Amino acid sequence: MRRIGRRAVLAAPAALLAASRAARAQAVKPRLTLITQWSTGSDGAAITALGKKFEERGGIWQHSPVPGFTTDMMNKLRAQIMAGDPPACSQLKGPDIAAWSKIAPTVNLDAVVTAAGYEKVVAPDLTKIHKPFGHWLAMPLQVYRTNTMFYSKRAMDRAKATKVPTNWAEFNELAEKMKVAGIASPFANGGLRFDDGMKFETSLAGINPAVYRAAVMELDEKALHSKEVRDALVQVRKLANWQDPNVATQHYSVFLPRFISGDMGILLSGGWAQGVMLNAGYKLDDFILAPGPTENGKPVFILNADAFIFWQRKEADLQAGQMLMADLVMNPAIQTMYSQITGSIPVRTDADLTGAGWSDGQREAAKTLREAVGVNQVVLSLGHNMAQPNDMTAAMLDAIGEYVHDRTMTPDQGVDRLNEAIANAR
Amino acid sequence: MRTTTPPRSSAWRVVGRLPELVVIWVPLLLCASQVVVFTFWTTWVSFTPSTLLPAGGWVGLRNYRAVLASRNWDIAFHNLLLFGSGFVLFAIAVGLLLAVLLDQRIRGENVLRTIFLYPMAVSFVVTGTVWSWLLNPGIGVQKLVQGLGWSNFRFDWLVQPKMAIYTIVIAAVWQASGFAMALFTAGLRSVEPDLIKAAQIDGAGPWRTYLRVILPTLWPIVIAVLVILLQFAIKAFDLVRALTDGGPGISTQLPTLVVYDFMFQRGLLGRGAAAAVLMLLTLLAVLAPYAVWKRVQKRRAARA
Repeated sequence: MRRIGRRAVLAAPAALLAASRAARAQAVKPRLTLITQWSTGSDGAAITALGKKFEERGGIWQHSPVPGFTTDMMNKLRAQIMAGDPPACSQLKGPDIAAWSKIAPTVNLDAVVTAAGYEKVVAPDLTKIHKPFGHWLAMPLQVYRTNTMFYSKRAMDRAKATKVPTNWAEFNELAEKMKVAGIASPFANGGLRFDDGMKFETSLAGINPAVYRAAVMELDEKALHSKEVRDALVQVRKLANWQDPNVATQHYSVFLPRFISGDMGILLSGGWAQGVMLNAGYKLDDFILAPGPTENGKPVFILNADAFIFWQRKEADLQAGQMLMADLVMNPAIQTMYSQITGSIPVRTDADLTGAGWSDGQREAAKTLREAVGVNQVVLSLGHNMAQPNDMTAAMLDAIGEYVHDRTMTPDQGVDRLNEAIANAR
Repeated sequence: MRTTTPPRSSAWRVVGRLPELVVIWVPLLLCASQVVVFTFWTTWVSFTPSTLLPAGGWVGLRNYRAVLASRNWDIAFHNLLLFGSGFVLFAIAVGLLLAVLLDQRIRGENVLRTIFLYPMAVSFVVTGTVWSWLLNPGIGVQKLVQGLGWSNFRFDWLVQPKMAIYTIVIAAVWQASGFAMALFTAGLRSVEPDLIKAAQIDGAGPWRTYLRVILPTLWPIVIAVLVILLQFAIKAFDLVRALTDGGPGISTQLPTLVVYDFMFQRGLLGRGAAAAVLMLLTLLAVLAPYAVWKRVQKRRAARA
């Protein structure tokens, strides 16, 4: 009796432990540790909404936002990777996906992408970035067009303009018209590095997307010294001169009220500005969203995309969380929800944008993306770290920023400075 | 003597000194080893081909050559010379002036001294942010003066690439001159009253007394303030980051920003480390002569 009793006493907890362990393995609760740069405004609202969906599907959502620019978030990512404790999932974009996937093991997403038949509905230029070395290593979340112009309704009224310009000549004419109508700063764009990059990329890709591809994406010597690059810098100078000089060190969101009230005329920004403006309480009819000017009459789409990368973890719950997250991000309903909050367009080219939650601007951008894919005029954004790895991007943006802010520099000097910077960074 | 003491009492002595060992030596060794270890580690990384993460390998002086050839470093070093000299000279001048004025046995001296010293209590990020508003022509000083009626008034250094570096001098002087003042006040108060009396008896006015008698005794303090402010200038980072973030363009880059940019924005750890080592060498170029001077002085004092 006694002996059996002792055994029972010892065996019971062990059996209990084993049973509970088995139960946990069977019904492991998916958990996701995630770091992104999105904490506030429409970006914060969108990622929070995604987290809610994740929790609805039975997961545990552990999001640690690192506010600021993508590079700030990447510092935390680097520290965690060096400490051997990477997040299960992090934001990462552009050529950095290929570069960073070499420094720590990432989850191969080929199986989930194939199972969902996802590759068919992703633009080829986007696939190239997220499927480096022939494997899906990152999951694109949303797409932005950076060559998007927002025309202030009130500024258009003040200038008595009705037509949105389609090429640079019309654009420049409209800006001058606004100036005559008493709008001192017809062009609105921030004074940060990526803003200066956007002025340049929108100018050059608008003038000639093929030259943009060769010069900026492939760093072709001949293209970098071409007339088109010089012309683009001439246009950049015009844009810079139409800007309020006082915004030289400011973020674009600071002067959105001035833009809406018609004190500034044309805002160059990605579709995210729509999300930011709506989130700030402005209405869709306060502005007109249109593609940036182009010269060859065919649609040009400068692409910027956010993506998630999944870092290998041993924990079963984190692995389950990664698969759930990948599944959610590919889901058309989730992409719709996300893009409607942030102002982006869905990654899926088969997404239906006829619903009520979409703006005309988003519908137009999605249509332009499809058409631009067709005529091979989709290019990758320089200002938003899509066209080149970070070191080359930074070197090029330094040169462009210097040109934008130093009004004494001539376009020829600008071309030289840009080429010097590229040569030094190679 | 030692052999006669029983082992037990020596153990007791160690136990008795334990608080001292734990409280002073452990943190001291930890701090020192951190500084030394990471200095050597950074130096080592600067000779490797490290990019996103530290990596092995040896590339000799390649990173140094790349940094020295880069335009950013060029601009940053030039800015450091402008900013460093402007900041140090003005902070000392303003600090000395304030100290001399406070020294006139005025009423409310304590209140004024506290006010002048207060900027030192504010972090550089706050200083930078506040001054970025004050100096922005659209919302700050320029707008205010124009609103008062001087519509031609212009003060837009913040957005002029060639002048923006001086806005950092302004903000930094505002922050540090109170500190210089405090040290100078202490120096002025420690001047032998006999000396001043002697000068007065000899018929020197207050101006001459300051210039010929009191200020010369302040030299050691001036040197100390100079060195402290210089190393402030060399390691200035947060102020610039908050005030201009190196802009407009790259016109207000400083070496610290270049290090950060290389390491964390471009993902070029090797080059960033090389830039950091170059900064350390600059600091040593300031501190080493000071240390030598101190030692020479000490020796002289010992001889006298």
